[in-house]
Amino acid sequence: MRRIRAVLRREWAEAMRIKMVLFSVCFFPLFMTGFAAYLVWQGRALPPQGQAVLLNTALIYFLVLPVVIPLSIAAYSIVGEKEQGTLEPLLATPIRDWELFLGKSMAPVIPGLILSWAAFGLFLLASRLILGEIPRGVLSLPWFLSIFALAPFLALFAVFVTMIVSSRTSDTRAAYQFSSLAVLPALIPLIVYSARLTAVNLAFVGIEAGILLPLNALALYIAVRLFRREEILTRWR
Amino acid sequence: MRAAVIRTEGLTRRFGDLVAVEDLSFAVGQGEVVALLGPNGAGKTTTVRMLACLIAPTSGRAWVAGREIREAPDEIRAIVGILTETPGLYRRLSAWQNLRFFAELYGVRDADARIEEYLRLFGLWGRRREPVATLSKGMRQKLALARALLHEPQVLLLDEPTAGLDPESARSVREFIAELRGEGRAILLCTHNLPEAERLCDRIVLLRTRLIAAGTAGELKRRLFGTRVVVELANPRPGLEDALRLPGIGPAELAGGKLYVGVEDPRRDNPRLIKRLVELGAEIVSVREEETTLEDVYHELMGGADAQD
Ligand SMILES: Nc1ncnc2c1ncn2[C@@H]1O[C@H](COP(=O)(O)OP(=O)(O)OP(=O)(O)O)[C@@H](O)[C@H]1O
Ligand SMILES: [Mg+2]
Repeated sequence: MRRIRAVLRREWAEAMRIKMVLFSVCFFPLFMTGFAAYLVWQGRALPPQGQAVLLNTALIYFLVLPVVIPLSIAAYSIVGEKEQGTLEPLLATPIRDWELFLGKSMAPVIPGLILSWAAFGLFLLASRLILGEIPRGVLSLPWFLSIFALAPFLALFAVFVTMIVSSRTSDTRAAYQFSSLAVLPALIPLIVYSARLTAVNLAFVGIEAGILLPLNALALYIAVRLFRREEILTRWR
Repeated sequence: MRAAVIRTEGLTRRFGDLVAVEDLSFAVGQGEVVALLGPNGAGKTTTVRMLACLIAPTSGRAWVAGREIREAPDEIRAIVGILTETPGLYRRLSAWQNLRFFAELYGVRDADARIEEYLRLFGLWGRRREPVATLSKGMRQKLALARALLHEPQVLLLDEPTAGLDPESARSVREFIAELRGEGRAILLCTHNLPEAERLCDRIVLLRTRLIAAGTAGELKRRLFGTRVVVELANPRPGLEDALRLPGIGPAELAGGKLYVGVEDPRRDNPRLIKRLVELGAEIVSVREEETTLEDVYHELMGGADAQD
């Protein structure tokens, strides 16, 4: 626990000093919340079907957030260690492989989720201010399941993918670009939701979970295998 | 010999088809500084990495403080301090934050006091809050050394501790290493700086994938070159060297007015040599023992290894 805490604290202290990371961590949530609120405002006079489409799009923003925030932290977190040559002294300490893995995966996921949920709270507040009420579609089980149950898996997936990609490159930008593919599962609802002119329902959430969980398991399996001392020091480029 | 703190037996590491270290056996005793010398790619860093339990050997065994590297890697990591080839510091974090992080990983007690002690010792206390990126190379190297020492390791593995430092910084690092030896730790030091190895280290291990030679600098010199006497002559005469056939007195060579003669035992052979020279009509200006350096040993041995390839 002590060592995991040390890793988290160090990761965050470092992330705060990287403009790119700080920028995306601060501004993405604000932008996304702003866009989502704007959609709600646009839909205020539409018939329910039209509203559903706009709301579905708004929901996507809150599923993309838990991906992009951890992604920008994680992309630096691992490639940064490589660039600075810190992996070797780090792995020479008594830290266990799993402790490092846990620290490295939690460091981006925790702020990612906290900020995503804060953004969602801000969005509820904004809707309330704009419309005088929160749209019924938002205060629904599918929305809450998506935001509180799916989002953590989306965030984890983003981090695992970034870890895998990072093991093959020592260029932060390349790591970031390739890892951005991890946003795809967050976009699946976009395709599903917007094709049908209906509000997000439990079936969609189920499908999303059905896709996300096996993907996560696979990514976790690969990432853990890559995340062994021997592997890191001899195979990573 | 003192109890071995580091001991390897047939240590071998391959990377695919490439053999980085082969069948390496050596030991480092308590309070001993041993230099690991060898050309680029000789396997020094690979050896250090195996001893620090960073990578596993392909075959062979090694013990650090009585524990086998494959059986007790976590325990070994806790008692080994390593200075890696590059300082490997978090550049955006301050000196203090860097040390604090590693102190937590090693579970250092009284971390703040210990960190302050080392920062002061290396003259970094005044700059402890600045990002490491703004420190000079020498300061970073010292900070990395402080990190390696923070948990009071019994065993120190130092990979090129003075590489790239200015003479002043290099000297202060060397002096510091000499102090550490005094504290009874076992130190393995990789270096390309031969005078440094000769001055600082009790014993030398010459490595080029395989062990080439090991011993004190003096032993290696004697083993390779024996003792050579240089006799300066006022009247060098060609053919003189051939007339010097005496038991215990080795091949002689005349060059630039000086006669170079190998002797087995200077106390016994030098007087006989001089007497003989006088008999032969030589006018002797001076007699002294030839000084060979570790560098001569190194080139002799590594040149020989080259030829075998
Ligand atoms: N991770 C790795 N993968 C493949 N080959 C490696 C790896 N690490 C080291 N080697 C190879 O092993 C050999 C020994 O390398 P090592 O770094 O141990 O040499 P060294 O003695 O430290 O050299 P230098 O004086 O240049 O630091 C080299 O041929 C090197 O290319
Ligand atoms: Mg090396």
